[in-house]
Amino acid sequence: MRPLDWVVLVGSLVSIIAYGLYRGRGSNTVDRYLLAGKSMPWYAMALSIMATQASAITFISTTGQSYVDGMRFVQFYFGMPLAMVVLSATAVPIFHRAKVYTAYEYLENRFDAKTRALASVIFLMQRGLSVGLTFYAPAIVLSVIFGWPDRLTTLIIGVTVVIYTVTGGIRTITWTDVQQMLIILFGLLVALVMILWMLPRQVSILDAIHLAGAAGKLNAVTFHFDWNDRYNLWSGLIGGMFLALSYFGCDQSQVQRYLTGKSIAQSKLSLLFTAMAKIPMQFFILFIGAMVFVFYIFEPAPMVFQRAEYERIQRPEMRARYDPIAARYQDAIARRKTEALAIVEARHAHDPRAENEAMFRYRSAQRDVDTARLEGAHLVAATGGEKGFRDTNYIFLSFVTRYLPAGIVGLVIAVILAATMSSSSGEINSLATVSVVDIYKRHFRKDASDRHYLAASRLATAFWGAYAVAFSGFGKNLGSLIEAVNIVGSLFYGSLLGVFVLAFFFKRVTGTGAFVGLLAGEAAIFAAFLFTGISFLWYNVIGCVVVIAAGMAVSYATRRRALPLTI
Amino acid sequence: MPPDAHEMRDEPPPFLGRWPRVYAAVIIYLGLLIALCYIFTRAFS
Repeated sequence: MRPLDWVVLVGSLVSIIAYGLYRGRGSNTVDRYLLAGKSMPWYAMALSIMATQASAITFISTTGQSYVDGMRFVQFYFGMPLAMVVLSATAVPIFHRAKVYTAYEYLENRFDAKTRALASVIFLMQRGLSVGLTFYAPAIVLSVIFGWPDRLTTLIIGVTVVIYTVTGGIRTITWTDVQQMLIILFGLLVALVMILWMLPRQVSILDAIHLAGAAGKLNAVTFHFDWNDRYNLWSGLIGGMFLALSYFGCDQSQVQRYLTGKSIAQSKLSLLFTAMAKIPMQFFILFIGAMVFVFYIFEPAPMVFQRAEYERIQRPEMRARYDPIAARYQDAIARRKTEALAIVEARHAHDPRAENEAMFRYRSAQRDVDTARLEGAHLVAATGGEKGFRDTNYIFLSFVTRYLPAGIVGLVIAVILAATMSSSSGEINSLATVSVVDIYKRHFRKDASDRHYLAASRLATAFWGAYAVAFSGFGKNLGSLIEAVNIVGSLFYGSLLGVFVLAFFFKRVTGTGAFVGLLAGEAAIFAAFLFTGISFLWYNVIGCVVVIAAGMAVSYATRRRALPLTI
Repeated sequence: MPPDAHEMRDEPPPFLGRWPRVYAAVIIYLGLLIALCYIFTRAFS
């Protein structure tokens, strides 16, 4: 980091926090602290929802995902617009009219206290684990740049976030998100322009797109259906819709955002706008990853992007195993560069035959590059590195710090840190809300003053911040962070969705039926996770269906037993 | 519960007149995006 980077980084962060605190002043009642006094306009909620999702994990991990696996991850978001339409027509008016602080509060109105308590505990477990991963992402940034230990970095960021979240409440979080979203979009645009500008002079944008496509990096849609394939059109539309229904309909960190709306219409508009903007935004981020791939065709790409591990496997005692892999890798990337330039030349000469021949050799070289990278990862894992080592999360940051000019590096790091702070602050705020409203106020202290609950909310915020920091190391062994977050979510979301579907659409289902159904749904999801190879996107469908089926069956059985016998 | 002062209004959307039309527009937009992604995949793979 150069002095200009530090100026941009510190300036951006200070302005974000100062602006957020300025907008959040007056959050001195529980209603204002947790629901912003129901005063938010649709655009602020929409940008806040998007900024929460577009966290540091999105920025760091999605680009790396595209570099390694291509753009097919975009299909994951295809179900979101469908989910947003369903939620706008059902959950948004129901929650608003029920005048609740949390989604789970509604479950007691509809079913009973035990169903509300169980749903709250499931949310607290799931979101508590995810918020740890949110903290871990920026720790990677600073470990790559400064070599700081992950745990220390996480602790420093965690303490900062807790102070800032405790002070401002949800109004601060929302307005900070708005500002961050604009910075994120600006940062992304600058990064893409810089990548394209740094390509060799003879390689046009269209050439770059062709090279990425030829290497299989632009596979945005795949129709092939496979239960075990994480990303195809069908898993995206069906599994993705169920995940989005669960996330936006049952996860308090999102429900709380649109509960701050000044009217039902404003909340609906915020969700629908998010639905329309999310797919193009993810496409754009993945496209940046694909262009980073093209950039590294013409620049020396490290075999392993995590510098510390790469240096470790190059030590003298490792050379016997490292050297043959490195030699194959160097040979493959040299051939890939030669053939890429041959493709570009043939395209410019309008020579399809030469282009096809070069394309064949280019793809062969790419396969050799992938094989050597995989062997390098296995070497890292086999010689004391992380089990199942993957460097997906380091690819984009490695590029940023090595190639982008002074000022831009600071901007990108500021975007990543600020996005993390805001995303995690929203998650911590929702965890605190559920802890206080659904657990503490409901079961331990029913009739205290507003001031007491405000203090309890702030205390709960501090507790969940500490919890998140403690669990942040969990992300280390989960490969791509963006996938890790979604896998953890999918272990719990499906059953939560199922119980809300029962609440909204099945009038005859009882509290006991919903409670047992929720337990059965969780059991089914964990069975699928532990004993089958089914892709995680389907867990949401499985959990939801099992909860509905079990809830209806138990309700039917218990009602029949309760009916008096007549002879 | 939040205070009753926050009585919720379900206003019509600011465009297209009725909410079902807005929902239909979002679904049509999704279909267009998928079609564009498919064309993109076919064109460059």
